Amino acid sequence: MGTTKPTAQGLLRRYVFTTDHKVVGLQYFFLSLAAVLVGTFLSLLMRIHLVWPQAAIPFLGQIKPENYLAYLTIHGTLMVFFVLSTVPQNGFGTYLLPLQLGASEMALPRLSMAGFWITLLSFFVLIAAFFAPGGASLAGWTQYPPLSAVPSAGPGQGTGTDLWLVSIGLFCVASVLSSINFITTTLKMRTRGMTLMRMPLTCWTWFVAAILILLAFSILLAAVIMLLLDRNAGTNFFVPANLLISGHAVDHQGGSPLLWQHLFWFFGHPEVYIAILPGMGVTSHLLSVFSRKPVFGYKAMVGAILAIGFLGFMVWGHHMFVSGMNPYAGFAFSSLTTAIAVPSAIKVFNWLGTLWGGRFRFTTPMLFSIGFVSLFITGGLTGPILAQPALDAYLHDTYFVVAHFHLIMAMAGLFAVFAATYFWFPKMFGRMMNSTLGSAHFWVTFFGAYAIFMPMHLLGIAGHPRRYSELTGVQYVAAMAPLQQFITAAAIITICGQLLFLINFFWSMFKGAAAGANPWECTTLEWTLPSPPPREGFGNQSPLVYQGAYEYSVPGASKDFLMQDSTATPQ
Amino acid sequence: MPPVVEHVELDKKPQKPRLGGGGPGKIPHRWGFGGGDDGDYGHHEDFVSRRDRLRRYRVAMVITIVSVTALFVGVTTVYFLRGTHGPWDPVEKTYLENWQPVILPYRILIINTVVLLLSSITLELGRRGLLKKSEFVSMGIRPPKLQTEFPWIAITALLGFAFLAGQIIVWHSLRAQGLYLASQNPNSFFFYLLTGLHAIHLSGGLLALLISLFGSWLKLRFDSQQIAVDVTGWYWHFMGVLWLYIFVLLRFAM
Repeated sequence: MGTTKPTAQGLLRRYVFTTDHKVVGLQYFFLSLAAVLVGTFLSLLMRIHLVWPQAAIPFLGQIKPENYLAYLTIHGTLMVFFVLSTVPQNGFGTYLLPLQLGASEMALPRLSMAGFWITLLSFFVLIAAFFAPGGASLAGWTQYPPLSAVPSAGPGQGTGTDLWLVSIGLFCVASVLSSINFITTTLKMRTRGMTLMRMPLTCWTWFVAAILILLAFSILLAAVIMLLLDRNAGTNFFVPANLLISGHAVDHQGGSPLLWQHLFWFFGHPEVYIAILPGMGVTSHLLSVFSRKPVFGYKAMVGAILAIGFLGFMVWGHHMFVSGMNPYAGFAFSSLTTAIAVPSAIKVFNWLGTLWGGRFRFTTPMLFSIGFVSLFITGGLTGPILAQPALDAYLHDTYFVVAHFHLIMAMAGLFAVFAATYFWFPKMFGRMMNSTLGSAHFWVTFFGAYAIFMPMHLLGIAGHPRRYSELTGVQYVAAMAPLQQFITAAAIITICGQLLFLINFFWSMFKGAAAGANPWECTTLEWTLPSPPPREGFGNQSPLVYQGAYEYSVPGASKDFLMQDSTATPQ
Repeated sequence: MPPVVEHVELDKKPQKPRLGGGGPGKIPHRWGFGGGDDGDYGHHEDFVSRRDRLRRYRVAMVITIVSVTALFVGVTTVYFLRGTHGPWDPVEKTYLENWQPVILPYRILIINTVVLLLSSITLELGRRGLLKKSEFVSMGIRPPKLQTEFPWIAITALLGFAFLAGQIIVWHSLRAQGLYLASQNPNSFFFYLLTGLHAIHLSGGLLALLISLFGSWLKLRFDSQQIAVDVTGWYWHFMGVLWLYIFVLLRFAM
């Protein structure tokens, strides 16, 4: 809608400081690509250090224990904040949400732009910590006080931790701004006929994830402000009494470090769903497209998304079973946590139901979606195990936990991102990605993910603690060295395998086969536009929606599917 | 299987529900007119899009208010948790009791409260005036300036500044009692945190008021000025309610 007068703008207004949601989405995408490259490089350094602690890395020298902890902190922070909560939600969401709803812009385009630039600033502040005196923070992405609250606690705990907190504070603001925009867009910008129950499931997941972001990141912002005040203004929210650091008493008095854990995990657990919900949406969408069947149980899917979002706010205590909490509280958190298995199982059941009897097209995005389901089940099965306080007392802070959250959050989330990239690449750049390279990339990553993380379960059950840079002289840990070497080898191969993706991505951007408007024969509205879509989106012609989002294999239809704006009536 | 009939008038015949989500086609509906327009291109001047834009910004403001509420809920939770009992001291094997009462400067606080509530009333008068004018504009009457509403918004801004000045006096009187942000007494730093966060949020509202006041110089269109005043009005009332909540919390919990 609106008069689309041609815009006489410079390149700067068009591609850099732009309110065009499509460009902002791509900006988020490339920011996450940069973050994932740095984060992966750090994980490679950590894996090498775990196996060859004495090895000298070119340009970096030998990795000292404090360097290892700094890498661990920044790896976690980059991957959780700048990759898993940025690209599925803000990257693909900003690009596709208006198009899928039939709108030409986000509800508040300038807020999109502001959100991106604050996120970028936050990214630079985080990376700057490496160059601060003492290096980056050592306290892990969870930043538990008192380690994070007292500057004298370690080399990275001075400026490095302040920069971490400022960076995450900025990230909170940016995320909240962007989520306000997502919710408003979903509520107010749907085109005529696009009822809530006709939205693609991707839109549902972006909508619910935005609600989670709105509440969770506001709480994290409050916590970050309080921790910053503790560090710099002499308040005592989180620093316990009579704390000795290296034999010196700290003057803080009488705060409670557990308060931080409560606030952090009240954010941290919904954050897991912020990362994975859009991935679930993408998977539901793609499984339906490539098995040419309607999503099995659309309404149940919507219900499960809402239930996961709702329950996600009630289970934060399961991260704190060993903090000395009341056993009754532990019981409540444990029951609520296992309750999340119900909507998760509904989703898995419906994905399998969607696949059942489908006419498959094994394209690269389809492979990655099936990979997502596989990893989600594998990673999910260890969830109810860790949700038992008694089992968690043993498994807490071991590699078992590392394996669990990497499989379900990191790997499954990343598979959904890959699926979405291969799937929407033709829409974004007007060219197809190479499917041979894509399949090769899938198989390397799929087997790589299992080869890296399955053995970690064994390490955890055998009692290998996480976060240590080196455990020399511990008999039972030394016996696990061969398994660690195997994991490192698998990690190196898998990371090299990602070059297939990068080569495919940048090569296809310029040289890929031209894609038509609707190469995958998909029903949703973004495929009614040419690829890539013009600046003004739908322009004056707001589409009218007559169909649900998943009308595949419609009996008697000429093309086996009905676009959402098709006026056809099957009889 | 009979073939699909393409391009049929939809309302003629009810559709059978299908599996693809969404069910049968009830086409017309109430919301969403598509298209965005605070971007770089495309301004619709017509009535529908202006109302639609206003509604959109109001929804966004409600969501913003939810987010600010969540922030304060977070702080309040910590406040209550610290208030119920002090933290465990592992050396003395006892709960620490460092929760000392604070003598609140009631006179200034009550004046501040009255000032803030008055400013809500003045802003509401200005907001309603502008809303009426914008209806005239949508009927094609020339866009007016903020002439008649200017005083109301200016008075609101002045009262807002007065409130902030009052808060600074309050902070000074606490310092006179020896209560600082850096303190062992949780009551003291919670007071600064709660009032300080409120003041920062109120300053955001003040900034928005000033932008809409001097909007004509910033080449803001009348529509945008009116919308800015409208949603800032909502935000401002929320700030008033939030202040009452904080005041009650400080009065009864300290």
